[in-house]
Amino acid sequence: MKYELVAGFETHVELATNTKIFCSCTTQFGGEPNTHCCPICIGLPGTLPKLNKRVVEYAIRAGLATNCEIAEISKMDRKNYCYPDLPKAYQISQYDKPLCEHGYIQLSNGRRIRILRIHIEEDAGKLVHRRGDTLVDYNRGGVPLIEIVTEPDFRSVDEAKEYVERLQLIMRYIGVSDCRMQEGSMRCDVNISVRPEGSDKLGTRTEIKNMNSIAFIAKAMEYEYSRQVDLIESGEKVIQETLRYDDVTNTTSSMRGKEDANDYRYFRDPDLVTINVPRSMVEEIREGLPELPEQKKQRYIDELGLPETDAALLTKYRAVAEYYEAASEGTKNPKTAANFIIGQIFRTVETEAEKESFNVAVSAENLKELISLLDEGKIRMNLAKSTLDKMLETGKRATELIDESDMGGLDEDALEGLCRQAIDANPKAVSDYLAGKEKAVKAMVGFVMKNSRGKADAAAAEKKIIEMIK
Amino acid sequence: MSDGKIAALHRALVSKEISCAELTEKYIEAIGQDNEKLNAYVTVTAETAMETAKAVDEKIAAGKEIGMLEGIPMTLKDNISTKGIRTTCCSKILEDYVPIYNATVWDTLRAQNAVLLGKTNMDEFAMGSSCENSCFGGAKNPHNTDHVAGGSSGGVASAVGGNIAVYGLGSDTGGSIRQPASFCGIVGLKPTYGAVSRFGLIAYASSLDQIGPITTSVEDTAIVFDAISGHDTMDSTCSGRRGAPVCDSLKNDIRGMRIGIAKEYFEGVRDDVRAAVEEAIEVYRSLGAEIVEFSLPSLKYALPVYYIIACAEASSNLGRYDGIRYGYKAESYTDVNDMIKKTRSTGFGEEVKRRILLGTYVLSSGYYDAYYKKAQNLRGTIVKAFRNAFESCDVILAPTVPMTAFKNGHAVSDPVETYLTDICTVPVNICGLPGVSVPCGFDAQGLPIGMQLIGNSFAESKILNAAWQYEQAGGKFKAADFGVKL
Amino acid sequence: MVTKEEVMKIAILSKLFVAEDEIDRLTKDMSEIISFADTINNAADEGEDFDNINNLSNVLREDEVVPSLDRELILANAKDSDDGCFMVKNIMK
Repeated sequence: MKYELVAGFETHVELATNTKIFCSCTTQFGGEPNTHCCPICIGLPGTLPKLNKRVVEYAIRAGLATNCEIAEISKMDRKNYCYPDLPKAYQISQYDKPLCEHGYIQLSNGRRIRILRIHIEEDAGKLVHRRGDTLVDYNRGGVPLIEIVTEPDFRSVDEAKEYVERLQLIMRYIGVSDCRMQEGSMRCDVNISVRPEGSDKLGTRTEIKNMNSIAFIAKAMEYEYSRQVDLIESGEKVIQETLRYDDVTNTTSSMRGKEDANDYRYFRDPDLVTINVPRSMVEEIREGLPELPEQKKQRYIDELGLPETDAALLTKYRAVAEYYEAASEGTKNPKTAANFIIGQIFRTVETEAEKESFNVAVSAENLKELISLLDEGKIRMNLAKSTLDKMLETGKRATELIDESDMGGLDEDALEGLCRQAIDANPKAVSDYLAGKEKAVKAMVGFVMKNSRGKADAAAAEKKIIEMIK
Repeated sequence: MSDGKIAALHRALVSKEISCAELTEKYIEAIGQDNEKLNAYVTVTAETAMETAKAVDEKIAAGKEIGMLEGIPMTLKDNISTKGIRTTCCSKILEDYVPIYNATVWDTLRAQNAVLLGKTNMDEFAMGSSCENSCFGGAKNPHNTDHVAGGSSGGVASAVGGNIAVYGLGSDTGGSIRQPASFCGIVGLKPTYGAVSRFGLIAYASSLDQIGPITTSVEDTAIVFDAISGHDTMDSTCSGRRGAPVCDSLKNDIRGMRIGIAKEYFEGVRDDVRAAVEEAIEVYRSLGAEIVEFSLPSLKYALPVYYIIACAEASSNLGRYDGIRYGYKAESYTDVNDMIKKTRSTGFGEEVKRRILLGTYVLSSGYYDAYYKKAQNLRGTIVKAFRNAFESCDVILAPTVPMTAFKNGHAVSDPVETYLTDICTVPVNICGLPGVSVPCGFDAQGLPIGMQLIGNSFAESKILNAAWQYEQAGGKFKAADFGVKL
Repeated sequence: MVTKEEVMKIAILSKLFVAEDEIDRLTKDMSEIISFADTINNAADEGEDFDNINNLSNVLREDEVVPSLDRELILANAKDSDDGCFMVKNIMK
């Protein structure tokens, strides 16, 4: 029998605010343990929370970018559970009146992943186990999170991967989070069940907690899918439980001890007041939203005529798209800037962080200047490419690197002269070519290019050389 | 009759009749002499008190003006956070906890050079009506030390009633300021919810807790309330006092003021208490007030509603005492979970544990709707009933407690019976209203009887105005035979 | 009526131990209090959803950083700490 995978996501995204959700401590990642703490975020007796305005705004932004309805009236609730990383023994979260509900994210196969809700809450601290001792660091405690909960709409691991990528992209675009999975600013819990293909009943689900890489999510889902199918095929039952994924062994294992029956005893937090979201505020936030990656990508394809892969690469990071738009604006062919960026400039950025900020050695303005030299026919593509490499190395402008004398191509006579020299200097290449090795001509073209310092048009040189040999 | 002590002492300081150091020394000496009998203070801060006193004296000597509360010796209930000064909630679980920040009320008073004599006794985490649920033993009634001072702010009431502090701040969740004030024959105000910041008040039940003054006169209560009320950015639920300082209207004429009497408040009240309150009604009549009678049937649900909500919030508020960051920590355990459970089981007293369990029960799945949700709905109903009542009257007059101070150790073994003593005080907390308890008589044993005046939200000026007029016309304050004789 | 089993379950959620000799008395006390609390279920309420007492809304803070406290103060009340962290020592090793 064939089995269908059914999955839903709960994704925690840390918001890129300056301060924590209920106190004025910094949210900066890292830092010596317990140095980003105050009486409020370590839960000293008598302290009270004070809600950060920007957290509400960012959550609404996230909701609008994922097609959610924004609640008019919302509130904060306490989720009670005792664990050493949770200083108050309750997490301030939202239970029955989340800020955002009923949205969706559309996948490339046309399917919509429905978003059930997005709510705001506080992060917990971090536990480190060292030689059996438990150490607690509350720097992360109180960092604002949004939790994005989907319906069980995923039918394949690929859909899940695409969803996480898209979500990451959207959140970065709208500037609410850097979504760095390796730093934990984006973490996914996945609910998984399987059912015979064609069935519309949901199977018993398990939940894999706290995964912080797309690769792990995919592996964990694949593993859990097979595990559940094997269980069912061998006549056993899937037990509803919470699992941990171990990326070393590529297996999942049960997380909770028998004593920890879940009963969060949610109730409204009496220390915080109602959140009213006037429609005018929603509209203001909506107007402030940037063009979203999907819209941008489509525009690049439809209006600029870029191939889909290029459009996808250029829209993956907001800073890259902004750079591209600045460099290509007003140039003859929008593809030129795209080619330079994808072909050459991308090689100089390696890490995610570098791609996100995209502070490259050549400013968009300088790239645009180089392209206009090309557009005006002052230089040829080969020279432009080598100049761009030098610009990336030195940070200098194109006009500083190209002599006036280099401007413009070679005239016909000069080209012919160089081709003659190339033929004379490469007798073996000539005989090889005449013997049928067509590639041998490349060596002579290379000679021409080198001796013209890139000013020659390679295609023209090749044509000329072939004419002259024959 | 009780005149304001604060204004009198202020005049004495300004006219250099007495120095602040002398005044403070007197109180410290009196504490040394009488605290053993009253058990009001659990921590005495003589050294810092003298430092502040000297600073005030220097100011006076330099010819600078001083504020009304400047240099006046006072006390704080031991659930109000004081930086660098042990704050225990009278619980083993916080026995050596030293806050690293100040409660807003203490910051405010400290800035005015209030002289803090020490921290006073209370029922553990403010849960109780006798002060006997304190890990330091209960505070005693200054009118008869065989009797309790009441609770939970028993230490403040005992200290102020016993004249070993001029005034004090307590907290009131279900009557914890008014009931001990009534038992000790003094004045205690539970302000409107949100009039005074709760920041730094160690929480019992967040939607009910409120800090307020305990003093020997209505005027002193008005002065202290004006000083501590106000908007605080650290407390989202605190919008501050509304309108002019209450001192401005304290002495206004009350002719024509409508005083409401709800018969439900008198059900189950002991005869002598009822008689004393009825006598006060006659005083109001003679002052030209209009007596309006009405019924508040929903009042009979106030007590269970109170206990459900208070315990639910407490169970959550007290989850944080796990031994990791502060307070008592079990010494032997098998793992983290075992450490937490041992710490809590040893660190908390019986009543606190009972209320945590009760609160966990009413919030747990399967019971939430029948108890917590239902109680919240009824809370809405009771709020509405009071709102309606205040359309036909300006203040409501009622007994504060159905009886007078219990004997020491009399703490009833039946918890429900004990809870019933809070019947007259809890409605004010449920509705977030202001209520002030004022002495209105004595029982046959000479123990004080109190009455309370309840106002609409943020109508402290009205109830204190009515209280002051009564105090002047027929007040029953009698100084206890302890402490500093001024 | 509160059962022993419920008291045990609630105790686990509350992170409290209930000693064998306490359980009967505690169950009895809880039952009495709960049956007293049950009286509210005789009340007709108007199904009013209680919000917050003064109907306040949107009390919000600007997103401006205030320096955190010295770690020494943060850890000052901890019984055990090490490497700048709060610590629960493994005393079984």
